Amino acid sequence: MKLCRHIFLSALLFAAGILRAATTNDFFAQGLELDRAGHFPEAAAAFEKSARAQPASGTLVNLGLAEWNRGHAGAAMLAWEQAHWLDPFDLRAESNLKFARLVTQLDEPQLKWFEAASTWLPPDAWFWMAGASLSLAAGAVLLPPVFRRKKSGWPPALAALGCCVFLFSLTTNVGVVTRTEIGFVLKKNASLRLTPTREAEAIATVPAGTAARKLRTRGNYYFIRTADAAGWIEREEFGLVCAEPGVSP
Amino acid sequence: MSPGALMQLQVAQPTADVTSPVTATAEFDPPVAGVGEKTFYRVTVSATESAIRWPAEISAPAELKFGADARGQITQFLGNNFRVFTSFIYEVRPTAAGHFTIANFTVNASGPLVEIPAASLDVVAASSNPPPARELVLQTSAANLFLGQPFRLRVLLPASPANEIEALREIDLVGDGLMTDKTAQRQSIEAVNLNGQSRPAFICEMTVTPIAAGPLKFFAQGFTAGHEFSGPISIRGQVTIPGGPPKYVLLLSDPVEINVRPLPADGALPGFTGALGKFDSDPPQLSTNRLRVGEPAHLKTIFHGEGDLTRFVSPALPRSRDWQIIADDPPATGFTLIPLTDEARATPTIPFSSFDPATGKYEDLTIPPLPVTVIADGLPVKIPALDDETNSAAPTALSDLSPTPGKTAASLQPLQRRGWFVILQLVPSVGFLALWQWDRRRRFLEAHPEILRRRRARRALRREKNKLKKATNAGDAAAFARHAADALKISVAPHYPANPQALVCADVLAQLDDAARNGRPGETVRKIFAAADARFASAAQTPADLLAFKPDVDAVLQKLEEKL
Repeated sequence: MKLCRHIFLSALLFAAGILRAATTNDFFAQGLELDRAGHFPEAAAAFEKSARAQPASGTLVNLGLAEWNRGHAGAAMLAWEQAHWLDPFDLRAESNLKFARLVTQLDEPQLKWFEAASTWLPPDAWFWMAGASLSLAAGAVLLPPVFRRKKSGWPPALAALGCCVFLFSLTTNVGVVTRTEIGFVLKKNASLRLTPTREAEAIATVPAGTAARKLRTRGNYYFIRTADAAGWIEREEFGLVCAEPGVSP
Repeated sequence: MSPGALMQLQVAQPTADVTSPVTATAEFDPPVAGVGEKTFYRVTVSATESAIRWPAEISAPAELKFGADARGQITQFLGNNFRVFTSFIYEVRPTAAGHFTIANFTVNASGPLVEIPAASLDVVAASSNPPPARELVLQTSAANLFLGQPFRLRVLLPASPANEIEALREIDLVGDGLMTDKTAQRQSIEAVNLNGQSRPAFICEMTVTPIAAGPLKFFAQGFTAGHEFSGPISIRGQVTIPGGPPKYVLLLSDPVEINVRPLPADGALPGFTGALGKFDSDPPQLSTNRLRVGEPAHLKTIFHGEGDLTRFVSPALPRSRDWQIIADDPPATGFTLIPLTDEARATPTIPFSSFDPATGKYEDLTIPPLPVTVIADGLPVKIPALDDETNSAAPTALSDLSPTPGKTAASLQPLQRRGWFVILQLVPSVGFLALWQWDRRRRFLEAHPEILRRRRARRALRREKNKLKKATNAGDAAAFARHAADALKISVAPHYPANPQALVCADVLAQLDDAARNGRPGETVRKIFAAADARFASAAQTPADLLAFKPDVDAVLQKLEEKL
């Protein structure tokens, strides 16, 4: 009886997974059709739904294309950055970002060395690498005595290698975490304000697609720093790279 | 129109008569009245109202009690010019019979003094039943109203005793807190029931709105105008309309009182612009639901209501960051909507509500948002190739669409931001550490086997003690002796070390100190072993009183166990 229940629950979960994937693919296919027909706002909405259900690099690239075609440079660049975040080897996202920055004359986000290193692999890969290298080092040190093997030979070398990789991946993991505060201005000519209020004085105007780093949050506002200015911006006018598409973090 | 033509048109108009001398008449209407009955003292001056400095009080006999008063101005067309007349009227009630006269007096009419002639009133006993004063009748559609609630009001001029109907002009309401809509006046002649009698009457119907709360008292005034009907009129039934030049006589009505309540503050809904009545609306219709930024679309909204809609106030324009909203010219109630950004997903909600006086509640008539798709101008998807060396490697066009979703992830949030995942990463290392600790312990025990032997002896001794207890409880002396001997052997075995079964009584005694060995514990051990060894005898007999040694056996075992 208990076995039957387990089988039934497993089947239910499996079916729910298939259904979710099917819905995501439906939105993706729908977005492709709409984009090809020139219905960019509808295509963007479909890709957004698909990406919200399951973020995917290809979906985000297409979302960026639809947003670009409907005139939303900020949203397009954010989507391509998100695609690049998910898959650093996605050539479409990289190429489109270069093209967009050429057209808008905007700079790439300024990254520190460990942040730049963290872009070589997907963020999760660094995480697994840190865990695996730590385990490798610990295993190489601890397991030979347990199995009554000699401590000399390859285990010390393996432990040293594991330690090196772990230390390096530790810095790239820090880079990944600090990169989560990077975002892009979504609204055209958005105002950076002196205080986090709607009535506050605008101290600078930034074009859509400008990269910035979020420093603080207060109510409905982020305090951001771009390459040239710093100020408060409304949450809906700024999209973080690691935020789900269409969802204000 | 050219200035010349305008001048010509002005010259062609009849002129106002300002050269004729100002004249005045005064009379009581009717000239004969009963005691306590109503009569009117009326003075008519051929001058404009603003030109006459009328006295605040009129000197009159004390027996004449003055009531409501009014004044009005009318313009008479005299063939080729106009003449203005102003009438002053007072309601008078005599308190005693007799002949009373209001003496002549003078008033200033913008310079010249005008003499108001004397007027006489004969007051007779009420029982003489003189003809009543001619006056207007005022009827209202409601007496209890809310502030701003329009109501219908009828001013009636009943036919004369000769059944002649006259028109009324310059009808006005005298009283505070009322606003009259003269554009919605309707005139008719029909039979009405007055004091139980059906009589034809000239009726002027108008819409009035109270603009002050509380009890409001007012009356109507108007000039009789003979056959001069202004505007269209509907006539029902047979009536006689007098010919000849009209006689302009200012008449008054009895006062009417209505009670006006302020609108309740409780339950007020957003978007209330003062619309009172019972209204409903058709679903709003948008001219298109797909438009470009800056392109106007028309939102058609139609409201229906019971009664007069002329005073219907359209919804106030809401403030919207995404839309420019322009209201249609009244009486239309639609809106022109212009999207300012392509982020607009729906038309703005336009709050609106009305107050229904019948139910005393506010009704929600909010215009709901309608979904729209707003399109903005796109960005360039291709640029010409650059000669610049630094940018020559940059792509000159956007990529194609990705045919597949590509690499997926459960979330864009990195695993590094999740606490439980960090802990999971440490699990293998913790496992290795645990393994290492286990290995250290194992090595320690290999170096110190006596620890294991004693641990095993303690465990075996515990089991044997249980068996001993059971044998005692069962009264089985043979089993008692056997288990007691085994327990004693087990408790000393680690000291040799040796297998417990290989030990004998002397080995156990050797582990006792001298005092114990020669004392009662030693004797107990010997007896136990003797009884245990008796089972190997041909005629095994175990003394039944052996069970009495249980406390001694326990004491010996405790002593030996302490050494383990």
